[in-house]
Amino acid sequence: MKEALSLLKRISAHPDSRCWFVSWSPSGTLLASCGGDKAIRIWGREGDSWICKSVLQDGHQRTVRKVAWSPCGNYLASASFDATTCIWKKKEDDFESLTVLEGHENEVKCVAWAPSGNLLATCSRDKSVWVWEVDEEDEYECVTVVNSHTQDVKHVVWHPTQELLASASYDNTICIYKEEDDDWECRATLQGHTSTVWSLSFDATGNRLASCSDDRTVKIWKEFPNESGQSDLSWMCVCTLTGYHGRTVYDVAWCRLTGALATACGDDAVRVFKEDTSGDPDQPVFSLAAQVNKAHSQDVNCVAWNPKEPGLLASCSDNGEIAIWRFQEQ
Amino acid sequence: MASHFSGVLQLTDLDDFITPSQECVKPVKVEKKHGKSVAKIQIEDDGSYVQVNQDGGKKKLEKAKISLNDCLACSGCITSAESVLITQQSHEELFKVLQKNKASTTEQKVVVVSVSPQSRASLAAHYGLSSSEAGRRLTSFFKGLGVHHVFDTSFSRTFSLLESQREFVKRFQRKDQDNKALPMLTSACPGWICYAEKTHGELILPYISTTRSPQQMMGSLVKGFFAEQQGLHPQQIYHVAVMPCFDKKLEASRSDFYLNKAETREVDCVITSGEVQKMLEEQNVSLNHLEPAALDTLFSNVCGDEFLSHAGSGSGGYLHHVFTYAAKQLFGEEVKDLTYKTMRNKDFQEVTLEKDGVVLLCFASTYGFRNIQNLVQKLKRGKSPYHFVEVMACPSGCLNGGGQVKPEAGHNQKELLQKVEELYKEERSPLPEDNLQVAELYQSWLHSVGEERAKELLHTKYHAVEKMTNGLTMKW
Repeated sequence: MKEALSLLKRISAHPDSRCWFVSWSPSGTLLASCGGDKAIRIWGREGDSWICKSVLQDGHQRTVRKVAWSPCGNYLASASFDATTCIWKKKEDDFESLTVLEGHENEVKCVAWAPSGNLLATCSRDKSVWVWEVDEEDEYECVTVVNSHTQDVKHVVWHPTQELLASASYDNTICIYKEEDDDWECRATLQGHTSTVWSLSFDATGNRLASCSDDRTVKIWKEFPNESGQSDLSWMCVCTLTGYHGRTVYDVAWCRLTGALATACGDDAVRVFKEDTSGDPDQPVFSLAAQVNKAHSQDVNCVAWNPKEPGLLASCSDNGEIAIWRFQEQ
Repeated sequence: MASHFSGVLQLTDLDDFITPSQECVKPVKVEKKHGKSVAKIQIEDDGSYVQVNQDGGKKKLEKAKISLNDCLACSGCITSAESVLITQQSHEELFKVLQKNKASTTEQKVVVVSVSPQSRASLAAHYGLSSSEAGRRLTSFFKGLGVHHVFDTSFSRTFSLLESQREFVKRFQRKDQDNKALPMLTSACPGWICYAEKTHGELILPYISTTRSPQQMMGSLVKGFFAEQQGLHPQQIYHVAVMPCFDKKLEASRSDFYLNKAETREVDCVITSGEVQKMLEEQNVSLNHLEPAALDTLFSNVCGDEFLSHAGSGSGGYLHHVFTYAAKQLFGEEVKDLTYKTMRNKDFQEVTLEKDGVVLLCFASTYGFRNIQNLVQKLKRGKSPYHFVEVMACPSGCLNGGGQVKPEAGHNQKELLQKVEELYKEERSPLPEDNLQVAELYQSWLHSVGEERAKELLHTKYHAVEKMTNGLTMKW
């Protein structure tokens, strides 16, 4: 293999617990992690080492499943199994709890900020997806509750430029939502995966969406103009990466700088795929560019590309660790 | 199975749509009988369980049954209630009662059907009639089936509106001593009530108006006043309500609306507008071809053969009536036209009364789950600016209820709703205070039963449902 993934650093981020998710701040200087120890940790680079800058505790009573930075980098949202979402505000070098969003019936599985920073989406085991709006006074109000999935909703992600939301579920489908006539509606249901869809990632343009699943595949979906002339959105699967992953693919991350696609897998491996850009855009071809088999000693839960530094990748695992990698095309 | 309940109720479910037989976690109370402690239980070929005592004697064991009341009192799954409801409250049950009436001369039941104005408008839109015309023909249809009386819940709603007005003024007057007096939240929507009881308990319940909904006001009238007037035992009356909403079946099943002494429910069965349409189709009858019948004027809000309605929203007009009454009673202000200010979305509106730049009254209507959520969160944080809120579980309110007639294939839901709204609003709406018949009932019936009893007949109570913590409900 010409390209390679080299380990830069391994951090014991949530010792004796699981590290569920990592998220880079928009400037790429900070990395937030969350875990089964109910804590959120903020990491910063100092020379060659990674220092824990702050620990956000006492916000949640159960596992913190996901964390998300606001586009301005001044707020952090955390989704927890305690059925709440916490909003944290950056204050100098620390964070203070600003508000707690209640309403979900049970475990909140994911939280994501819209590119404008005015909208926040959450999803839960209660099968619903909520959109919240924040005003100038940092007050959050629920804009919609959509019940399009028939099972646990695992992940929500916003389109990079539009107010378009996608969600992935235990019901094997992906839903795409848009605001229509003063409420949000599911405008497309993407069927194709044969088991739980765990995560989603848009490419830099937002024209394509990558999904990963318990069926051990990664699918690439593309938006097409709707032939029927109806207003419904038309998304079709244009590529399926199959045969690479030994177990459930828990996360997929599409680098907005390089176009590389990274995956986190239950077989403990981290993989990076590159697209062959010379082919037909409606039939893209991806090939495995790098694979680290024992990236972690247990399930890899998440992969995240640094938004500013091309090739810098973070991953985290059930063993409580974070690993920082450099992907280099050699 | 797709659920018919409003979105609010679907959200409170902790599990998928399961039937009690599959996964109900409600502990069943078993009547223990004293006797020999050793016995065998044997399963017979027909699947029944038989207890075999040591002496060889056999006794068939009773099946543990989950009733709707068990479901309502349980914080487990709400949707189990659905399968129970379908067996207990359906148009087939009404047919059964009517057939029994025909088959037997000795055990006749007096069958009363009370039709909601929202259902009338929904069926009117479907058949292309005016709401009053639909009402007259529905009367004819039900009477043709053997129903004895067809009433109109707009009549009982007059009581609900009058009681809400009085309750609000009382609450407003004690707001400085009682921090849970305001805002007063309306109680006519059973989906909202069920959600509040199961999810928010004592935090929210004190704010909810104790005034009965029109359906249950009619329950009091039919099984109370009417039974007595006709010299009937309440059990001899079979009372059916026709409603725009499936959640109303849950409301009728509440133990608060069961007459313990008479061993009967105030409303025996609730059928939806859509189920009435199904009945018509099953009988091969179109409302268009039925001869209109004269209206039952005993409990109907009518003028001649025209139905009357109430001003304000299609969900009963609670905000409108309480606002105008409170403005007059508390501040001496005559309000003719209310200005509804649309807030975050069309299902969240505000109405205020201002004088010299000071806000005297601040009312809102919040429909649909998202708006209910924001209201509940504001109340929890002590940030609600409202004195009164008309709360409905369905987006667009009762005219858009889950039990309304569905649009025909190729037709648009929004257009149908608009038509239903137009037909509903066509009915003239005099003031509830001016209804002489209702005033007369307050004078004669309610005055005669005493203040305590009158309160029971016109108001109700709410009960927080404790969250189950028995581990059985935990799912991973």
